[in-house]
Amino acid sequence: MSVDYRHPLRLGLLLTPGDDGPQAAVERARLGEELGYDLVSFRPGASELDPWTLLSWTAARTTRIHLAAHPGGPGINPALVARAAASLDLLADGRAELILSAEPGLDEAIDIVRGIWTAHLRSPLSFAGEHHRLAGAERGPAPAHNLPILLTGTPDPALLRLAGTKADGWLRPPADGGSATDSWAGAEGQAGANAAIDQAAVAAGRDPREIHRLTHITGRFTTAADNADSSLTGTPERWISALLPLILDQGVSTLILTTDDPATIRRFATDVAPALRAARGEIPRSEQVPSLYVRRHRRDGIAYDAVPESLAGSAIEPGDAGFGRVRSTYLRGGSPGLVLRPGTPGEVAEAVRFARTQPVKLSVRSGGHGISGRSTNNGGIVIDLSRLHAIEILDKATRRVRVEPGARWRDVAAALSPHGWALSSGDYGGVGVGGLATSGGIGWLVREHGLTVDHLRAVDLVLADGTRVRADEEENAELFWGVRGAGANFGIVTSFEFEADEVGEVGFGQFVMDASDTAGFLERWGAVMEAAPRDLTSFLIIGRPRLGQPTVAQVMAVVDSRDAETIIARLQPLASVAPVLDYSIQVLPYEAIMNAPQAPHDGQGEPVTRSALAGHLTPELAGDVGRLIAGGLSYFFAIRSVGGAVADVPSDATAYAGRSANFQLVAFGANRRALDSAWDAMLPHFSGLYLNFETDLRPERLHDAYPEAHLGRLRALKRRYDPDNVFRDNFNITPEPDQARSQSSR
Amino acid sequence: MPDYGHELMFGSFITPANASPKEVVSLVRESEAAGLDLATFQDHPYQSAYLDTWTLMSYAAARTERIRLSGNVINLPLRPPAVLARAAASLDLLSGGRFELGLGSGAFWDAIEAMGGRRLTPGQAVEALSEAIDVIRGVWDVADRSLFRVDGTYYQVDGAKRGPAPAHDIGIWLGAYKPKMLRLTGAKADGWLPSLPYMKSLDEIAQANEIIDAAAVEAGREPAAVRRLLNLGGSFGPRSDRLLSGPPEQWAEQLAALTLEYGLSGYIVMGDDAATIRTFGEEVAPLVRDLVATERATRGGGIAGAGR
Repeated sequence: MSVDYRHPLRLGLLLTPGDDGPQAAVERARLGEELGYDLVSFRPGASELDPWTLLSWTAARTTRIHLAAHPGGPGINPALVARAAASLDLLADGRAELILSAEPGLDEAIDIVRGIWTAHLRSPLSFAGEHHRLAGAERGPAPAHNLPILLTGTPDPALLRLAGTKADGWLRPPADGGSATDSWAGAEGQAGANAAIDQAAVAAGRDPREIHRLTHITGRFTTAADNADSSLTGTPERWISALLPLILDQGVSTLILTTDDPATIRRFATDVAPALRAARGEIPRSEQVPSLYVRRHRRDGIAYDAVPESLAGSAIEPGDAGFGRVRSTYLRGGSPGLVLRPGTPGEVAEAVRFARTQPVKLSVRSGGHGISGRSTNNGGIVIDLSRLHAIEILDKATRRVRVEPGARWRDVAAALSPHGWALSSGDYGGVGVGGLATSGGIGWLVREHGLTVDHLRAVDLVLADGTRVRADEEENAELFWGVRGAGANFGIVTSFEFEADEVGEVGFGQFVMDASDTAGFLERWGAVMEAAPRDLTSFLIIGRPRLGQPTVAQVMAVVDSRDAETIIARLQPLASVAPVLDYSIQVLPYEAIMNAPQAPHDGQGEPVTRSALAGHLTPELAGDVGRLIAGGLSYFFAIRSVGGAVADVPSDATAYAGRSANFQLVAFGANRRALDSAWDAMLPHFSGLYLNFETDLRPERLHDAYPEAHLGRLRALKRRYDPDNVFRDNFNITPEPDQARSQSSR
Repeated sequence: MPDYGHELMFGSFITPANASPKEVVSLVRESEAAGLDLATFQDHPYQSAYLDTWTLMSYAAARTERIRLSGNVINLPLRPPAVLARAAASLDLLSGGRFELGLGSGAFWDAIEAMGGRRLTPGQAVEALSEAIDVIRGVWDVADRSLFRVDGTYYQVDGAKRGPAPAHDIGIWLGAYKPKMLRLTGAKADGWLPSLPYMKSLDEIAQANEIIDAAAVEAGREPAAVRRLLNLGGSFGPRSDRLLSGPPEQWAEQLAALTLEYGLSGYIVMGDDAATIRTFGEEVAPLVRDLVATERATRGGGIAGAGR
């Protein structure tokens, strides 16, 4: 009776580092990768060289091949092994696998390894076993992918039961430990072992198809005359005919060739592997059974088995190891049911087409810093664009650059810096390109060089129906108009073409000021900024006042000049706005200001913000802001100076409308109702709304952000390009006037 | 007094954060590009925010060509010495002699125990480290054809085959502060690797040097057999009267003084900042080398280059 567990065929190499030194072993691993092998491992205990060190080194010298780490035993520390394996997986982009040998305490070791990898549980890991004890060890890191634990040892019942109950695979060792080259066990006993594993799996509530069956093979290539009946000694044809039943009848999906002979490594790859692969054929991902853990963590309403093949490999579900790194955003905790991570515009289109057939929320994420853009949800789908992160110089003469939405502004700044260019973006380098470049972009050089959208020359988009279009001033010009200020409503931009500015080193001043007289401070700062030459842009932040301490403002300013006198001349008036408690002035490449640490987001909860544009910081506005801050309604209040070059562009030239404003304001609060009530009362002071920082979902906000003529054009665009309102996750422009905006807080 | 005459060495101290493995590796490459001699990594295997230091060092060594790598310092209680010795030699062989072994006796015993490690008193930990050094050197000593046996209080080796021998004489550098550890450093180690933030004053360096020197002499070694390194932090900015808070020139003057007056010859800059690493490697290091070379020449070159 033949079995088929629906696993794709994988071919691996087991290498034994020998007298020719570790470099030679690494070279054989690299040869294996070149020849298309899927997996490499170094045999522990066979030489004095440390297999883990060799494998970690090999990880850095290879790009595709999987790395099966096999810690030498006995007496491993499973907690340490778990962290090391996860580390290898993180460094090697999800290419690690873990082989554990049968030894006393293996059962406990598996529990500990999985316990350490369960990083999202915040409780420390304690374990009181017969062989292993942990007294409150920290959990984590989670590996980059669902790192398989493969057990190896002779097929004794206890080991097979353990494999069926807890492991991801059983790796059959060579019959005699692999010392002879023709010690192949063949298919003998495989059926019995499979049955034992299957039985244990079912008893544990698992699907037997979750457990991979792997085997070591050893043999010699000889001429036909030597063909023997039951060993891998003979011609490639002999090998093929001996191995095929194992693959096609016995459910073995991974063959690991034990050899250190480059000729054998080559011969197997060229004369045996193709026939084996062809006989096995492709196994679609939808037919491969995920682990019980993954299946148990699936959410209702998502047809997980229908995820397009091109997206299934990189998608992350709640039960997957990498979920903790993609679930939340910078400011929001989230728990999506599926995160799709397309790697090409075509895959973005497939993701959109799939997502709109699913009766759950859809969020789109570039960098995950969005405030108006939710970019995560609870139980829905996220299209995460982080794999689309290319930055490319198109034309040096016109400073034309192409940037993909998942790139971070930090990376854009670093890529443009060697050319003496920069693109004014936001004020934080960790922010993603996509969200910011479709809505505005009020950055450190905004008064000198304008909004980020003002540098946009063309975009490629995936529309709500999955079609791909280009938009610029000639082609789809109305859509291009809409993308520059309301882009999130019409599609997913997969490529931006910008014209960069020439920007060298800049002056960067940071001041801590006494803002006890908050209103007066704001008025004076506002007056200085309105009078300032365009090469000065300044932002300020005021936190929640602390009892018994003066209200303190942080004022940051960039001067687009490396000349010390100019820098001082520009910063002097700012410094005289209020008593300076501390300051620093540096001359830095623009790139250095945008440098921000890289780490997965771990936001919690839901931000409460209100946002506005204002022409001037009038005494009335400044007074209201002063009371808002003094009343503790905002724990983080910021104003960015705008104006300058922004106002050179006519208001109807882009969907971004707030051209006349000199200031952009945002208040973060803890209490929605309290902040809304205070902010609503301030509306008469405002000239508009910068949507990126707005979390209020009431339909009036649309009218704050867009004048009627703008809104009319935008609704017409929405009716044309997204009539079903697929893209409603970020400052939703409803197709018809003042429909209830259907986004909710989660 | 002492300038032990060691060739100067400059390095970086890179946090092995697992939140951004690519950035960690890129800081190692930045260190190499900046001309630094050494990239070092703390080792706290009980810390879930860190990459496994061993895996990281092996990976990073394969992504660089010239720079040396070391733990700063490796946590002995969670890394059995015989395995550590083989791993160190393997990495040294793979990297063409670019590995050094910064080693510590362990400090955070609750965390070590939480990971299944053995709790020792500080005194026991020093004894264990002393035994471990013997085990490590015994593994590396392939010239000795005898079976390798150690029957120690803390570590046992039962007739293992020796080897592999590393590609170069790997320096064993100890993170030491207390007298017992300092004496062990003088008696058995190739280097002393403390951190400036843990020292109360520069006097502590002078006092430690005396203990190390005396212990070295007692063990029949030259004090110069022990290199003196230092982890340090600071900032680049306008001149000040503080240590390592000023322009590169001020850093260089101060570090040169530390070499000439306190015998330090290895400087490892803390902080995971590419700009700091660049300034330290490209500006500070050459200036210190010049200042020290000039002064050593003036003093008459009576000091033989020594140590490793």
